[in-house]
Formats: sequence, structure tokens, C-alpha cells
Amino acid sequence: MSVGKSVFTKVYGTSRPVCLFFVFLILLSFISPARVIFAEDSAYREELVKRAKEMRLFEDRYWDILVHYKRAGSGKKSLITDPKFFLSPAGKKDPAAELEATLRGFFQEEEKDDEHPRCRFIARYTWLKEKLNIDERRLPAASCTKFNEVMDTVKPRSAALVFPSAHLNSPSSMFGHTLIRINSSYQSELLSHAVSYAAVTDDAIGVLYAFKGLFGFYKGYYSFLLYYEKVKEYNDMERRDIWEYDLNLTKDEVQRMMLHIWELKDIYSDYYFFDENCSYELLFLIEAARPSVDMTGPLRDRLRFWVIPSDTIRVVRENGLIEKVKYRPSQALRVRSIASLMEKKDQETALAIVNKTTPPQAIPDMSINAERKIRILDLTTELLQYKYADKELEKDDYLKQFLAVLNVRSTLGTQADEHTIPRPFQPEEGHRSGRTAVGAGYTTLGKSPFTELGWRAAFHDVLDPDPGFIEGGQIDFFSIRGRYYFKEDKLRLESFRFVDIVSLSPRDLFFKPISWKVNTGFDRKIFRDGEEHLIYRVNPGGGIAYQNSLLGLCYAMLETDLNLSGGLKDDYALGFGASTGVIKQLTELWKIRLEAWGMYYEAGDTHRSMKASLDQNFKISTNNSVTFSLLREKTFYHYQSEARLGWNFYY
Amino acid sequence: MKKAFVVAVLSVLMVFVVSSAFAASKGGASGRAHRNVGCGLGTMLWQHNSDDSVLSQTLQVTTNGTCGNQTFGITTGTSECEQPANFAKNDRLNEFVVANMDNLAKDIAKGGGESLETFAELMQIPTEKRAEFYRNLQANFAKVFTSEQVVLANVVDNAVAVASKN
Repeated sequence: MSVGKSVFTKVYGTSRPVCLFFVFLILLSFISPARVIFAEDSAYREELVKRAKEMRLFEDRYWDILVHYKRAGSGKKSLITDPKFFLSPAGKKDPAAELEATLRGFFQEEEKDDEHPRCRFIARYTWLKEKLNIDERRLPAASCTKFNEVMDTVKPRSAALVFPSAHLNSPSSMFGHTLIRINSSYQSELLSHAVSYAAVTDDAIGVLYAFKGLFGFYKGYYSFLLYYEKVKEYNDMERRDIWEYDLNLTKDEVQRMMLHIWELKDIYSDYYFFDENCSYELLFLIEAARPSVDMTGPLRDRLRFWVIPSDTIRVVRENGLIEKVKYRPSQALRVRSIASLMEKKDQETALAIVNKTTPPQAIPDMSINAERKIRILDLTTELLQYKYADKELEKDDYLKQFLAVLNVRSTLGTQADEHTIPRPFQPEEGHRSGRTAVGAGYTTLGKSPFTELGWRAAFHDVLDPDPGFIEGGQIDFFSIRGRYYFKEDKLRLESFRFVDIVSLSPRDLFFKPISWKVNTGFDRKIFRDGEEHLIYRVNPGGGIAYQNSLLGLCYAMLETDLNLSGGLKDDYALGFGASTGVIKQLTELWKIRLEAWGMYYEAGDTHRSMKASLDQNFKISTNNSVTFSLLREKTFYHYQSEARLGWNFYY
Repeated sequence: MKKAFVVAVLSVLMVFVVSSAFAASKGGASGRAHRNVGCGLGTMLWQHNSDDSVLSQTLQVTTNGTCGNQTFGITTGTSECEQPANFAKNDRLNEFVVANMDNLAKDIAKGGGESLETFAELMQIPTEKRAEFYRNLQANFAKVFTSEQVVLANVVDNAVAVASKN
């Protein structure tokens, strides 16, 4: 009202009566339908506003949860960006103003269905109605048709936290993702709905994508979809195993969560990869369901500024919300698991059916037992689906083969054990993602002992204990090491790698993935003068890996290495070379890696560099391990040997 | 340092080349999420966030998996498909069958599985009659999935026909 009035007086000041009359009419048509309130209602409205102020509801924790307020400086600020989410223009930073505007909003005359604040902000309304004992009969009518339809379809009963974990060769999903599944009254979980928070992106260029993501240029939206769509997407399309953690939320709590989900429909926030990401934002929903738990606060207040999905599962578990854990293996894992129960010959038969060299109709007549026949056909089915999803098969070919195999399969009866698939370690059972390391060693280069301090922001190193992670996968972010050399009494930066990724995925009969690596950052390197100097390095590579039962994970890669430094002739050296190695888990706690690396620098400062290293990691406990490394190197014409012992603490 | 800069640019380009080579070897699926809409078998949701190359995968590492642009899809709808005749209008059933036809076919052929259980629940087959229902469907697989061209209406109608012979 006040805004309308001030505009009105301003216009009145201009002395053009006729024109003014039209302006008045136009203004009236804007203001009146929503704003006209009967005297009685306005008295009730003021009473509610006054009571809410007296009760200081704007300081209530539940109000903070519903509007996503977090402490910012001396006041509070909502993490939500979308102006649609606030009824008061000052709402983003002023909880009291927003609460007052919300209460006033409830008194708006009927707007379009579901556009009324009572429908759009139905969790706020439900909470305030209870707190202030609002008499609904004294409010203008509002019908929330769409909302009721949704509640009728979704029928929220219970909820689960869902974690589609990483898949074999895609570091883009190595951190995993989290969703919340709202279970319906159906027995089948597939008929539930799932809510997730994700950035809406349309950039095809990776660099732009990363930049925008890091600095919050993308809009994050909550999405709400049928769970079977999500299962197909993650399990079948992206080959990600899905972990499902049943939450012990009551039906009422889940209903409350659903009210809040509805409020977040079509509302955006700035999406930040590191902290205000999918996993963090979902915690608000759990708090809306059960306000007595506070997870978003502690995560935000801690020293770290990033949130990784498996961290949020830990937090949810620590708050006693997790009841039962279930596991949905991906298609790739189903293929591997069924194959692991079969003889090599039978695996090859399955592959022959896929490659159309053996017709599926030949299987029933084979002189092998029924169990083996069933496994051959079931493996074939999974492989066909996998290859179709991978676009290796055309739709027509796929359909013909798929149906032919199933037709034969349907004549063979059921399989008692349904190819039991062993459950791997749960993601939150692995080591934590941050790492600090202290160590000491000796180098022959300056003939000096040294001590070392290292820190890594995230996430998992090939040598770190594997449980809960993918073997052969490494993602290190912001890994920094500093050294103090006793002999020279010198403190210096040893390396600072921004990114260090290795993806070793073994090839087998069925899958032929490419292994690759990329790292970039500052490193020490021996120069012509025989001293180590700081360089900036970009080192990508690609190759293959195999799993050998005796040797472990064996790999070989072709690599290029670019070194930049003012100390190099022409300021750079560009090399081509290769690396090869094995990684073997010797015992449950003891892992070793043996690696050789050679590089011919033919552009810039021409020289050669060869390295051989042996690294070992001993797991002490989930969050502690010891590393022992040996290195022998020849760069330019200088040799160096180094030994290093370190303690890693994951936090 | 000018030269170093040129080299830096070149090496970044090299990474692009290497990564796009990898992308090509993977089948080079590119572009935004696209949906292979249909009412029969082989209907799938192909989703690619970015250009699918190793480089963009690398740079996507921190995104925790972004999704497509659909936000509130309470239902998926089957209006573009011919509707089953023999059965009372059951939107949830039709949607489920259209979206999960391949997995449903697989489960029927195997005589069990989550998709089949969901199908039976949506068909309102009483729990005690489900084992028999699964057996009958498995025995009549070829009558339910008559060809690669089966669509929603055929599958549901055929399944109803099998169930009614229980």
C-alpha cells in the first residue's frame, strides 16, 4: 500500500488533471485486486503481525530453515538468490521484514490458483498457522489445487538419502551426488519421487563450465522427478552404483519436508561447485523435516569451504538419521558380477551372442547345466543393454537381439540365487577427504635430510586406502607440500598441484575403457645446474590398464609434459614420453606402487628425465596411514635418490 | 617470455586435441540431454552434460554431477502413446511401462525382479497370486512381447490377457 500511495502523491503533484485521472485508473488497476482488504481482516492481520513480533518468531530456528538464513556478518542472509522467494524486497537480509511480509501476504485477495502466498509458501503458512493459531476462516480464500494434486500423486510416507556414487571411468562423477527420495504408499521404491539440487547448465565448453561453476554463475534449481527415471539415469546410463540410506523420519516429518520442497519449486540460488552444491542444499530439506537437527550450520561454520557428498552422508549419520542401507548395483557391476560367477568359456559364449557369431537359440541345446545356460543369457542381456546405452548398438539391432535372447531365456525358468552381487564398502566408511601429512626424508641431491609438511584439500589419492573409493581412481585438489632442508637451513615450496587426476580403469573381455591422467601446478625440477628449481607443469597422458591376479593393476600411458620456468633455456621445455607401473594391494592394509617414467624434452630446453619410484602405503586406521617412498631420478645429467617417510591424517 | 606464452597456449590446445580424441573413441556423444521418446522398447534417456571429452570430464570433477533442466516432473505422461484397451485407465501403470519397458521385458523373461514386482503392484495383483502371475508371464513371454515393435498398449493388453487366464 505504502509504495502505491507514494507513487500516487508524486503523480498528483503534476498539475494535469485529465492525464492524472488516467494515471490514477491505471495505478488502481495495478494495485487494487490484490490489495483491497476489508476493515475487519486488516485488524486481524495487524494483530497477527503484532503477535508474531512479540513472540520474536523471526528469530525462530524454523524460520531460519525455511528461508535458508545463515549468519552473515552481524546479521543474517538467505542463501537463496531468486527474488521470487521473498515477499519483502528486503527479505534476503531481513528475517523480520520477510516474516511480516509473509503474514501480510496471507491476507491477499485470491490470486490465480496456487499463486497465492498461502500455497506458494505452504510450509511457512503451515508453521505460522500453528505458531500463531491463525483462524483460517478469517483469511481470504486460497485454493492450492496443484499442490494438492502433487501431494495426492506423491503420497509422502518416508524418506531416504540416495547417493549415486562414482562410476568407473568418469571423474566427473567421482565425488558422487546426493538426492532425497520421498517414498510413497506404494511398496515398490521405483514409484517414489526423488528431489535433488543441481546446476542448470548449457555450456558445452568445459573451461567455461568449470569457471562459471566455481564462481557461482550457474543457477541451482531443485528438481523433483520420478525415482525410476533417476535409477535409469544413474544405474543404467551412467553406470553408477546407488546407495540408499533409509532415514528414520516420521510420516509427519516427511510431510513437512514435502511442504518445503513445494516452496522451492522453480526457485533458484547461485550454484557453487564447492560449497553451496547439491549435497549441502539438500540438508535444508532434512532440517525442514526435523528442525532439531542442525547440519547446515556446523558444515558452514567449519574451516573448510567445500562440501563433498560423502561428507554429508557422514553428517546425516552422525545426527542419527540413518536407519538402513541398501545398495543398487549399476549395469556395469551387474555384468562384472555375473561374469565373475562364470567360466571363461561361458563368458566368451555370451560375448559371441552379442557379436552375433552364436545365435541365442543354440544355448538350450548346449550340454551344460541349466544354471550355466541361464547365466550366459542373463549376462548377454545385461551386455546388450549396456552396449545400447553406450550407443555401440543401433536401436534395430539391439531390439532384435534383445528380444531373441529374452525369448530363449523365458523358457529356462528362474534362477535361485539371482547372481548374488557382493556389496562393496559404503562411501562414508572410507577415509575422510581432507589430508594433512608430516614426513621426513633424505635426498642425495643436496646430501641433506629434510622434514616435510603437506596438505590436500580433497579427495583421494591412488595410494590412499581404497575402501569406500574406486581402486585406481585419483582426484587430488589443491595438494601442497613444503620442505625444510636441514643442511641449507632453507624452507621451500616443494610442490603445489592444483589438480592431479589419474583414472586407471582395467580393460577386460567386456569393457575397453581408456585410462588417463592430468596434473598441473608448481613442482621442483632439477635443472642444468644440478639444482632443483620451481617450474610450472602441465602433464596429461592417456593409456590402458589391466587387472592381473598376480601383479595387480598394471598400466601404461603415453604422456606429454610442459615445463615453464625463467631458468630454462627459452623459458620452457616440452617433452613426450611414457610411464608404466603396477599398483598392488598386498594385504588388506598394505598397498604398493612401482612406477617408471621417462620423458624426452625435444622442444625448448632439450634434455631427458627418467624416474623410477616405489611407494607404499600402510593403513593404520580409517583416517590414518603411513607412506614410505623411494625415488631414483636422472634429469639432465644429474642423479638424485630420495627416501621419504610420512604420516597421513585424513580429516 | 612471449615464447613461453605461445607454448602454454599450444599445450592447452594439445590437451583439447587429446581429450577430443578420447571423446571420439567413446562414440563422441555430444550436446545437451536428449530423449529418445517412444512408446515401445529401446526408449532411453541419453544425458550428457557437456561435450563428454576427458577435458570437460576433468573440469566437471567438482560439479558433483549436474542434471538436465527438467525441474518438477511429478508424472511423465503417456499421452503420445496409444492407450491400452483392456484395462481401466491407470496412468501410473502406463507411465511405468513406457519408461521401463526394457527392464520389464528382462524381468518377465527371468521370472522375477524389481520392475516386474512394480508392474504387478500397479496391476493390483494380490500378493499371494504374484508368484503364479510371474510364472504365467514368463511362460507367455512371446505372447506379451510379440515383436520389436510392441508398444505400451500391446504390452499391457497382452499381460492382462495372460493374467486373466490365471
